[in-house]
Amino acid sequence: MLTKIIKRDGREVEFDRSKIAEAIFKAAQVLGGNNYEMAKDLAEKAEAHVEQAHPGIVPTVEQVQDAVEHTLIEHGHARTAKEYILYRAERTRVREMNTRLMKTLEDLTFKDAVDNDVKRENANIDGDTAMGTMLKYGSESAKQFYEMYVLNPRHSKAHREGDIHIHDLDFLTLTTTCCQIDIVKLFQDGFSTGHGFLREPNDIQSYSALACIAIQSNQNDQHGGQSIPNFDYGMAVGVAKTYARLYTKNLAKAAEILLDKVDMEERFKEIKARIYAETGKKPLLENSGEYCALERPYLAELVGEEAERLQQLAIKYAERETERATYQAMEALVHNLNTMHSRAGAQVPFSSINYGTDTSPEGRMVIKNILLAEDAGLGNGETPIFPIHIFKVKEGLNYKEGEPNYDLFKLACKVSAKRLFPNFSFIDAPFNLPYYKPGDYNTEVAYMGCRTRVMANHYDPSREITCGRGNLSFTSINLPRIAINAHGNVEWFFEDLERKVDLCIEQLTERFKIQAAKKVRNYPFLMGQGVWLDSEALGPDDSVEKVLGHGTLTIGFIGLAECLKALIGKHHGESAEAQNLGLEIVGYIRQRMDEESKKTGLNFSLIATPAEGLSGRFVRMDRKKFGTIPGVTDRDYYTNSFHVPVYHEINAFDKIRLEAPYHALTNGGHITYIEMDGDPLKNLEAFESVIRYMKECGIGYGSINHPVDRDPVCGYTGIIDEVCPRCGRRDGEGVSLERLHKLGLYRNLNADTLGYHGDAAEEADRRPNSL
Amino acid sequence: MSEKEMMIGEGIKFERIRRITGYLVGTLDRFNNGKRAEESDRVKHSVSGSLEHI
Ligand SMILES: [Zn+2]
Repeated sequence: MLTKIIKRDGREVEFDRSKIAEAIFKAAQVLGGNNYEMAKDLAEKAEAHVEQAHPGIVPTVEQVQDAVEHTLIEHGHARTAKEYILYRAERTRVREMNTRLMKTLEDLTFKDAVDNDVKRENANIDGDTAMGTMLKYGSESAKQFYEMYVLNPRHSKAHREGDIHIHDLDFLTLTTTCCQIDIVKLFQDGFSTGHGFLREPNDIQSYSALACIAIQSNQNDQHGGQSIPNFDYGMAVGVAKTYARLYTKNLAKAAEILLDKVDMEERFKEIKARIYAETGKKPLLENSGEYCALERPYLAELVGEEAERLQQLAIKYAERETERATYQAMEALVHNLNTMHSRAGAQVPFSSINYGTDTSPEGRMVIKNILLAEDAGLGNGETPIFPIHIFKVKEGLNYKEGEPNYDLFKLACKVSAKRLFPNFSFIDAPFNLPYYKPGDYNTEVAYMGCRTRVMANHYDPSREITCGRGNLSFTSINLPRIAINAHGNVEWFFEDLERKVDLCIEQLTERFKIQAAKKVRNYPFLMGQGVWLDSEALGPDDSVEKVLGHGTLTIGFIGLAECLKALIGKHHGESAEAQNLGLEIVGYIRQRMDEESKKTGLNFSLIATPAEGLSGRFVRMDRKKFGTIPGVTDRDYYTNSFHVPVYHEINAFDKIRLEAPYHALTNGGHITYIEMDGDPLKNLEAFESVIRYMKECGIGYGSINHPVDRDPVCGYTGIIDEVCPRCGRRDGEGVSLERLHKLGLYRNLNADTLGYHGDAAEEADRRPNSL
Repeated sequence: MSEKEMMIGEGIKFERIRRITGYLVGTLDRFNNGKRAEESDRVKHSVSGSLEHI
């Protein structure tokens, strides 16, 4: 008789015979059996079998289960044995999942981010903080729960094994990715954040503050980034209101100073209101002539012949003060977006703002000042991390000398050469231009964060617009793996690619069904406040099914370069043949997306995957599977989407020319980067020529990378090799206070980090760097 | 020791802002290994003769 048994965790416990009998009984029940006595009898036989097979030792659970299987088969219960084996396998799977989850949670709890790749998966969340860890507990548990109970096992398997990657799996049943927020529409008549109602803002400061709140509120409803597609148009409304207010305020001030007439502001406001009611005219930045003419007779009744002089003074000071207020509002926006938190306080919202095409005086003031605020940096001159700025380039508006916003394009290049932002988007690209209608921001392409793009609309072809839309979910294909498995057989490659695309389409569709079953109240801001296209027509308990179709279901891909290497030995930076094959591969996936869109009326699109969280995962699995293959699995990452590999020597212009045709194919989003050597501020002409070449080649979205270093001690920003060019210290070294004072640098009392600053003009401080 | 001789900044490292998968970061510490490797492999793209291109 057995008395003890060793459990899986190694503990020795009392042997309980009835548990064996119950397991056998349950297996038999599945087949309709109900003879518990027989189960008990078989359990006893199994026990005897264990004692015989392992005499004198305490058996393990596994050994007992083996004996049960053996006994069942020996006594003619083959079908029950089969059920028992299935039951056992299922229990093992559940147990392993539990163990894996517990192990993950243990690592999250006791390992620092430095030692834990999971903690560093999303660089924007600080995995070492309490809230960051709590988010990770939720995220990891959710992923394993979905893998076990929600995902189609075929999709789960393909994801687990690294054939595909289902992005943001932890949000599978919860929400969608991102949205382009139309702030012009949102701010009209005010909005509710879910924690209180905010009135329609009345000056540029409130416009900027509300833009941050809108981004933050929406970030809580979705798992991806948030973008404002019409930042200049939206903020311009606030500038106009500020100017109109400051005009009247300064008119009253001038009356008091020059004519000793006090408390005139209320009277002047009444005049303004009357003129607006009668003619619809208001004081306008750079364009107050018409209004002033209407105002003068009323004014003359109060101040006599000095009316015109007062108006001129009011215009002058209102313009100056509006400019300053706009700068301060833009500065506050940049500061806010770098410090405000969402998602339980652990993550700064991923924010993007698009601007550059509003040619009104107010819009121009916004663009100029957001660029200047970015240029100035944060409190100690640090380079802002958020928002991502995207300058929209458009011929006729800002691309050529003489065009109204040409000066702002030049300024954008200069700021980007210092701060890495703005990036540049190109409305004239052949695939963006067809949607464009002059003066209608809704038809100007806007990009999201690192690259997402929405434009075509198969769900509602009359709404091929930017605002109120975004990506719903995306899933990426591991291209190198298919290529390795193809063993040089291109035909087989395409056959397997077809299977992978089929799988992704099926998975995206199943996820869409889950997303579409949600109700408006599940997205209190995104849907509740009408941010998402057409959602304003829905009630809180309506399902979002009817409006969600405006979003995109997107397939992405990783490692075109490694894929080509594996298939034909060269990547697209190395041979024209590889480039042609690359275009054929990406073109094939795009064609499938178009066909699927036509078939379903949903927006299937193709994205050049940004590889967040994914760059290392695929290659790690493939190296384990296939070993180290030169040019394919021999680095710690697969190359981002269609990019020419970062390690490949290539001239900037060739790189742009090679990558441009992929922009036309990847309608769900794309970006091309150029790495520029040295300090581009010293070579602005070259910087601009790279941007211009992108436009000429039909790139949709691009940016230039260059080193941006900063010494937190003296505040120098630029390139620092070994020694700081301003204060002369080396990394980690001290510098004497005397030297800092000699350089005109004094402690910045407002600084929350160590920082000595003066008015030392940074530009003057820059030295030509050795090339 | 007079205030003037005081040394400032010992142990403080230079910040090096880089762009990783579209986002700017001040340090690579919070990045996983693949992304760090990608960043360190990057080579510069020559822009010489740039004016002939436009
Ligand atoms: Zn320094």
